[in-house]
Amino acid sequence: MEVMPALVADHLRKTYVSGESTVTALADVSFTVAKGDFVALMGPSGCGKSTLLHVCGAMDRASSGRIVLNGQDLATLGDDGLTRVRREQVGFVFQFFNLLPTLTIADNIALPCLLSGMHGATADARARALAERVGIAHRLSHYPQQVSGGEMQRAAIARALVHEPDLLVADEPTGNLDSENGAKVMALLSELNREMRVTVLLATHAADVAAAATRILHMRDGKFEGDRQT
Amino acid sequence: MRLFTQFILRPLAADKMRTATTILGVALGIAVVVAIQLTNASSIRGFETALETVAGKTAVEVVGTGGLDEDTLPSLNWLREYGVASPVIEGNAALVIGDLETLSRRDMEAVRVLGVDILRDMPFRDYQLLDVGQDRDTAVETAAPRGTAPPAPAPVPNVTTQQFLEILTDERSVVISEKLATRRGLVIGSQLRMMFGDRVNSYVIRGLLKNEGPARVLDGNFVLMDIAAAQLAFDRLGRIDRLDVLLTAGADVQGTLAAITARLPPELTAQPPSRRGQQVETMLAAFHANLTALSWIALIVGLFLVYNTVTISVVARRQEIGTLRALGLTRLKVLFLFLGEAAALAVAGIGVGLGLARLLADAAVAMTSATVSTIYIATAAAPPDLDWGHVWLATAMGLPLSLLAAAVPALEASQVQPTAAMRGNDTLDMRVRLRPAMLMAPLTVLALAFGLTQLGPVNGRPLYGYLSAFAIVIGTGLLVPAIMYGLARVSREALRRRLGVEGLLAHANLTSAIPRLSISVAALSVSLSMMVAIAIMIGSFRDTVVYWVGQTLQADLFVGPGIRPTVGQEPTLSPTVIEAVRRHPRVTAIDSFRNVDLVYEGKLTVLGAGTFSVVLDHGAVLFKSPANARDRVREAIGQDGVIISEAFSHKFGKREGDTLTLPTPKGLHGFQVAAVYYDYSNDRGVVIMDAGTFRRYYGDLAPSGLAAFLTPGSDPELVRMEILATLDEGHRAFIFSNWSLREEVLRVFDSTFAITYALELIAIVVAMLGVAGTLLALVLERRRELSLLRLTGANQDQVRKMVIIEAALIGAVSQGIGLVMGFALSMVLIYVINVQSFGWTIQFHMPTWFLIQASIAVVIATAVAGIYPARRAAQLVLSHEE
Ligand SMILES: Nc1ncnc2c1ncn2[C@@H]1O[C@H](COP(=O)(O)OP(=O)(O)OP(=O)(O)O)[C@@H](O)[C@H]1O
Ligand SMILES: [Mg+2]
Repeated sequence: MEVMPALVADHLRKTYVSGESTVTALADVSFTVAKGDFVALMGPSGCGKSTLLHVCGAMDRASSGRIVLNGQDLATLGDDGLTRVRREQVGFVFQFFNLLPTLTIADNIALPCLLSGMHGATADARARALAERVGIAHRLSHYPQQVSGGEMQRAAIARALVHEPDLLVADEPTGNLDSENGAKVMALLSELNREMRVTVLLATHAADVAAAATRILHMRDGKFEGDRQT
Repeated sequence: MRLFTQFILRPLAADKMRTATTILGVALGIAVVVAIQLTNASSIRGFETALETVAGKTAVEVVGTGGLDEDTLPSLNWLREYGVASPVIEGNAALVIGDLETLSRRDMEAVRVLGVDILRDMPFRDYQLLDVGQDRDTAVETAAPRGTAPPAPAPVPNVTTQQFLEILTDERSVVISEKLATRRGLVIGSQLRMMFGDRVNSYVIRGLLKNEGPARVLDGNFVLMDIAAAQLAFDRLGRIDRLDVLLTAGADVQGTLAAITARLPPELTAQPPSRRGQQVETMLAAFHANLTALSWIALIVGLFLVYNTVTISVVARRQEIGTLRALGLTRLKVLFLFLGEAAALAVAGIGVGLGLARLLADAAVAMTSATVSTIYIATAAAPPDLDWGHVWLATAMGLPLSLLAAAVPALEASQVQPTAAMRGNDTLDMRVRLRPAMLMAPLTVLALAFGLTQLGPVNGRPLYGYLSAFAIVIGTGLLVPAIMYGLARVSREALRRRLGVEGLLAHANLTSAIPRLSISVAALSVSLSMMVAIAIMIGSFRDTVVYWVGQTLQADLFVGPGIRPTVGQEPTLSPTVIEAVRRHPRVTAIDSFRNVDLVYEGKLTVLGAGTFSVVLDHGAVLFKSPANARDRVREAIGQDGVIISEAFSHKFGKREGDTLTLPTPKGLHGFQVAAVYYDYSNDRGVVIMDAGTFRRYYGDLAPSGLAAFLTPGSDPELVRMEILATLDEGHRAFIFSNWSLREEVLRVFDSTFAITYALELIAIVVAMLGVAGTLLALVLERRRELSLLRLTGANQDQVRKMVIIEAALIGAVSQGIGLVMGFALSMVLIYVINVQSFGWTIQFHMPTWFLIQASIAVVIATAVAGIYPARRAAQLVLSHEE
């Protein structure tokens, strides 16, 4: 049986216009990601990795081309539509600043559920369960500034998965961590990718990080250079 | 300088909304302060200008309580040794235009009438006769219809004293100002009807005065007549109001004044004419001080906007500041950069504010003139023009205070580390803990506030009362952070449960911003607390007055003269009118009263005469002390006993049993105080003696008002109409029924406080602008958090709702604090400031319903103030890389 691909990008272009100059961040990118894949995007700084993640994660729009997430064309959606897609189908982890400093770790993790109107107690229970899974249950009542960088990233992962999204977008999630913590985070991501069958799209500079992926896409100057299954 | 343009001025120009709000806030604050200055000045100036204009070259005037008896004049002949003396009658009359029957109090125009012996008076005042009636036998023309311009009068350059004398010898002849003639379409020979007290008299215009000298008074509303005609008109036969003295050239004014004083009998006083102006000024001082204090609140709240804007500017540009620091900009320069921003805003605000001040002053004068003229003087003038003094005042207040307000954020900016330029390195520690030390300072200040209420007045001013109010404001302001931490701790669950995730987020945001928010909340609380305090004070006062009116306005009808009481001689009722009232079959008793100005211990008070027996029988006075006041007052009839108002008692520290030494035409005389009574109609202080006693010492003066009691079951309205119907053409009394006088009293009361509410409203509007500004600052400061929130799946509605909840919470907390602080302030206002400056006992009354409505309105208004920041928050561009 033919399974619907998790993500289809079709001739994506993204240009930034600021004043007179135009920067092309994505120049004609097309690819398909199957459900449950763990895809790593690699390439030098400025090649367009983050831009591609943003477009795929319904955080930004492409200038032209199509992006289809779970069979839905994101280009047809307005701001509210994109928000709903993010809220229901996408989770994300960034290099810095993943958690709201004003909320406790517990509230941060529960936030996506709360925003989609889930009952408070149910959301709290889910958050607790995921916190246990990622190993930060003992930090639930702390504020982000009170925990370590590794714990912060694990909380961010819990937050990104609490609403059981189809796609997890991770932009250099280990970029800010030492190698030991980085490895722990990567291990956690691949475990969760398998356990929860969530599709992962990850951008990184580092080959050892990309090694955790099942497929590696190389980018340069807004284009794909190579596509390698591992 | 280029840095200043690029870094400060450009962003200010770019963010028009925020810049405009701040400038408007400062402008409103400045405008209110300057406008109140102008308004206060106008009410006194109106009187003083009138005084000076009429006084002319008079250096010394001789006055007595209730005027001077003409018979005493020969005994003052020695005044010739010092200069020339001219007896004067001066008073206000109402110009009667149109139909007498339908004439109401409101559409009468006041004119200043001066009665002099022109022969003696020519050297005193600058009379410039423009035209005299050529043919005195011409039939009297009626006034030309309004609007048709009279032929331009031909100037008569050299009118001799003789001619002047000739045209004024007739008791029906008057000379009016050219300005009045032109405005009313009057010419020489026209008939002029004027109302003096309850009498309507007709005069013939015999000459016109150029707008010079006394003719400029009241914007040209000036009528000159012979002193004998004026005595007749004002019903002051055999009396004069004062004796003006023109000193021989080169005489030393102070020395002569002392010499004259030494030779005058004790009941007469010699003083410079400006003295009456000073007395009015002192009389209005308490009223003005309160308005000034209120106006400052608007300014303080406006300055808080400066704090806000500079804060926004600093937080929005932390990274830029960091970069500039990294590039070598010194701390001091950063500091100056932001102080410069405050200065630019302040200068713009001051400029706009001075422009606004004029408009506000006109509005304020319109609002207060009713008060000032009904309660005090009939001559409130248009506010004076702005001069450099006001520009200086506005700058001297606005600029340093703005810089002070900006100092906190500017210092914060100068503390920004060069590393702030690097992203991710800029975490704030927001978990400030509630420390006991945070409570120590405010509690000490509040204790001080309480201590200050226990101290007495200084020079009759509630100095410690104001300080206590100030301490309450400061103490509560300092307590605000602690209160907010306390509230934050207990409200989290409730907010989350009631308002969902937006409530939770709003709570989290506000909690982390408490250090920054405290100033906004404190500023808003202060202006709200003033509203609460004033509402409680005025509500209580009004209730007290309503009760007092109910107790004391017992008579069924009140008969008064056509024009309002003023400083100076009151208009009187003529025998015809008194008889008309007395003769009506349904009238059972009459209490007649007469007030004259009394200068007691240098202060302007009122001496009144009333019929004690009628007052006692009908319970028309509410006594304060002693307990057996009624018996004591009954005993006082015929015994030189007086009753004094509460305000008088407070002002001069007199009580029942004490003796007052009052000047009478028969010399100084002691009167024993029989009782103290409540009187909320007069804050100057009143001494009342029985009509018989008054007559014995001050002569048989016509009453200025009557209170008539009717047989039970009478219809006062009917009796009123019947009495009016019996009056002939020449008389026109104003008769109020009990009900309409109550209405009138409350109308005057409400108009007195209208400006208070208006000022307060401005302060609240400014505070609301402040809330909007604070939220905007928070929104800009939290760009990254908001962006993250949106990425996490919050839609625009949720973000908007969150910010509006934040705004409403700020409003609710501020109003909560404002209610408590306002309650404390109202206690100080009612029991300390009011008692010490006016001497009134006010019964405490909580206007609960008003406060509930106001609180809801405040929360809604702050929520509305949150709409713009909410929109800005929802429209932020999503990005996680800033
Ligand atoms: N908001 C923006 N405005 C203008 N240009 C942008 C913007 N965001 C990205 N770019 C440009 O688009 C290109 C791709 O940027 P992007 O952030 O996707 O690169 P990246 O591969 O993620 O780099 P890095 O590894 O440094 O994170 C760059 O040339 C960048 O300068
Ligand atoms: Mg990137």
